[in-house]
Amino acid sequence: MSNGRAVNGFLLDITGVLYNSIYKSDGVAVPKSAEAVNFLYQHSKVKFLSNAKGNSNRNVARRLQRLGINVREEDVITPAPVVAQYCRENKLRPHLFVRDDVLEYFDGIDTSSPNCVVMGEVEEGFSFDRINRAFRILIDMPKPLLITMGNGKFFQRVDGPCIDVGAFAAALKFSTNCEVLNIGKPSRFYFEQGMNALGMKPEEIVMVGDDLMSDVGGAQACGMRGVQVRTGKWRPDFEKMPVTPDLTADCLYDAVKLIADNGFRL
Amino acid sequence: MSKISSVLIDLSGTIHIEEFAIPGAQTALELLRQHAKVKFVTNTTKESKRLLHQRLINCGFKVEKEEIFTSLTAARDLIVKNQYRPFFIVDDRAMEDFEGISTDDPNAVVIGLAPEKFNDTTLTHAFRLIKEKKASLIAINKGRYHQTNAGLCLGPGTYVAGLEYSAGVEATIVGKPNKLFFESALQSLNENVDFSSAVMIGDDVNDDALGAIKIGMRAILVKTGKFRDGDELKVKNVANSFVDAVNMIIENKVENG
Repeated sequence: MSNGRAVNGFLLDITGVLYNSIYKSDGVAVPKSAEAVNFLYQHSKVKFLSNAKGNSNRNVARRLQRLGINVREEDVITPAPVVAQYCRENKLRPHLFVRDDVLEYFDGIDTSSPNCVVMGEVEEGFSFDRINRAFRILIDMPKPLLITMGNGKFFQRVDGPCIDVGAFAAALKFSTNCEVLNIGKPSRFYFEQGMNALGMKPEEIVMVGDDLMSDVGGAQACGMRGVQVRTGKWRPDFEKMPVTPDLTADCLYDAVKLIADNGFRL
Repeated sequence: MSKISSVLIDLSGTIHIEEFAIPGAQTALELLRQHAKVKFVTNTTKESKRLLHQRLINCGFKVEKEEIFTSLTAARDLIVKNQYRPFFIVDDRAMEDFEGISTDDPNAVVIGLAPEKFNDTTLTHAFRLIKEKKASLIAINKGRYHQTNAGLCLGPGTYVAGLEYSAGVEATIVGKPNKLFFESALQSLNENVDFSSAVMIGDDVNDDALGAIKIGMRAILVKTGKFRDGDELKVKNVANSFVDAVNMIIENKVENG
């Protein structure tokens, strides 16, 4: 990669790249991710593109700050506010399957007689009763529409992989034959939020993530370059999968250092 | 049209809904028995054969326990044959059909209808067994939803589909619409199975009707239970209820398909 093309901005995934999640706690920072973030704020441009669906951008940033990672709230992009905006623009009346912490984004949106279901996560988890409510609403719609905040198969917690919202979206699609609209990575619409926030063309941007298909493959499909880190949900068998990262590094810090040492080219 | 000699009858939604018989179904069943052999085939995964039988008796049906062919029995046969040690996501009431099966160090996940166990904790445990220990995924059935007195409720298939997506595997389906399930039920009536003279009566357009048609049986879809408007467009023989379905058979009006 001695020459390569210029890298003018970075999109960083959060969970599994900046920190690893632990059940019912703030989690633990990935070593030297704080330094990497500080370095990018000083020497490049950086935004944080996450599929985190349980917390407001303010609380996502605060959690990272508590872990010593200085991320500014205004640089965080999560699906909930993007979904809310999508509902406003398309005059959708959602049945909300979301945590209280992100309800503020849906203020002023009509939720009576729903014509779509918006699914993130809820306080009590994906209980049968909660999923069944979403199901009954969907099956009665003439054209059932399910908007999901990401469609991840699983997320990595320190104690092991945990089933994620994508499983429940696949489940509801099986039962209701609904259309599933993912507003989260790897959808192009969602990556565009990151490009717009940086104010750059895709070819100027590098996306760094731990999810090969969603972060790396998704970014590449939009014309960005995708960097895989060996943290979070990374597995050795990723190398057999049909996506080839533009760069693979042991952690975010190493990825940033490699690109910076190459004169911000990749 | 050739005469119908064997009839497979779904239970829940077809001849009863929970504790209530479909009106007239008891008499219709007696009438049907004078014309053809019958077997009750059910994907109900939350109750043992003994409980199912008890319910039919309580609803006023004259049925022998041996006439009921359930996906739980078929699942047990599969587990024994493959030496599976399952992690069961199954209603406690069904567990008596799995007595004596070892569950140590699971190498399979067996899913039935167990709403109180359908949550992220249990599913994550199942997911880890499949993903990390290569456990097999067995669906006692893959039903999408069913009718209850409280309204439509999701079936086990929904959760099976979710696990298939996340773990990147395909489940083995034991109950309807698996060909082996229909075939085993018919074989218990006639050693030489003849699909073309057999009919399936049920309320599930996918698992009962289309499943039977796919293997060369005929099917009658009843407009009770989980029947939804539009289902009738997918099959040729549609009856308002089990009573009408029996009349169609007796009058030899069941078309192919």
